[in-house]
Amino acid sequence: MTRRPDLTADVSEILLSEEQIQAKVLELGRRISDDFAGRELTLVSVLKGSLPFMADLMRSITIPVQIDLMEVSSYGGMATESSGLVRILKDLSSSIDGRHVLIVEDIIDTGLTLNYLVRYLRGKNPASLKICTLLDKPARRLVEIAIDYRGFEIPDQFVIGYGLDYGEAYRNLRFVGVLRPEVYTDPD
Amino acid sequence: MDLDADLDIRHAPAFAHASEAELARILDFYAVAWEYEPHTFPILFDRSGTVLESFSPDFYLTELDLYLELTTLKQRLVRKKNRKLRRLRELYPDVRIKLLYARDFRALLFKYGKLSLADALTGADGQTTPPRARPPRRIDGAPLVQAPTDPASAGPIGHGQGGRSADDPARRGDHARRRVRRTRAEARARAASRLSTAGEPGGMEVTA
Repeated sequence: MTRRPDLTADVSEILLSEEQIQAKVLELGRRISDDFAGRELTLVSVLKGSLPFMADLMRSITIPVQIDLMEVSSYGGMATESSGLVRILKDLSSSIDGRHVLIVEDIIDTGLTLNYLVRYLRGKNPASLKICTLLDKPARRLVEIAIDYRGFEIPDQFVIGYGLDYGEAYRNLRFVGVLRPEVYTDPD
Repeated sequence: MDLDADLDIRHAPAFAHASEAELARILDFYAVAWEYEPHTFPILFDRSGTVLESFSPDFYLTELDLYLELTTLKQRLVRKKNRKLRRLRELYPDVRIKLLYARDFRALLFKYGKLSLADALTGADGQTTPPRARPPRRIDGAPLVQAPTDPASAGPIGHGQGGRSADDPARRGDHARRRVRRTRAEARARAASRLSTAGEPGGMEVTA
């Protein structure tokens, strides 16, 4: 992979501008504030990609919220080729028993990780469990999951920025862009 | 690397394709319960109701009530599979099934940083099939050649590994094609140690 000093040079197209993202985050924040008014809400962010979205979303919500962070291992993140099971790398810090929980995701594509998380969190007896994602890439879905709050449905392209990475880079871009195919080996 | 070695031996079937073993490993990783080719759906009958063609989706995700069919053939070669899928959806509209094309599988491996595996697991190179350890099992006792009175309401008629009937003419055609491809594919499989299925009974067979 050749990575240029200027991260934006690796972007072939800006899919969502910073302004578009912020407008959508505000809209989602308003909806969530209305829907959960008077209820005990915990936002659970899934590291690392959803950090920027979480930070902006929680500040656009006008009702009291608690936040928590989780991180789970990825299939591709295994150190060896051996099989295994997904692992909770960072668990919740506080109990969600009886609380209304909103999972905050950066992107949902296959749905495999989220499907696991939903089952895991349901086992902790929340009052309700809903899902908010900034980006939805339905073309790659393997496991159907009901999304309660969806920012944008995006085409089947490899996107980076606003928390999304390629090789741990590009997360700090303020927009969501399409990575130039030259940067990686084109999957097609 | 033996692609089958790490799968839970309690439910690791004889996969028809190495890509299926990899997909099974991904499903296992995310704790998605699956069965391999548990059901066979008749999709073509003659006038007497004899099954002329059937379709066994690769995976059934039991908790999600979803079938997955994985094909790593080049896009231009998947016409037959697309036709089978259309037919299945016509006859069994309640059956939920997703078809993963080669590009989808490559994208999946790319997502997990395993794109280097994709070429070895794509197309004929990945087609290394040990013979089925046992004949297809049936769960309802109905003969495989029996057409459902109302195909749209009929459920799958086979159960177990490799539900396709050996009497299925389409499968006999598959056998002919397999024989042609066997030598080349076996050579490739031997060369790719990661695809080795050494130790499994009867060596390898190639599926179309």
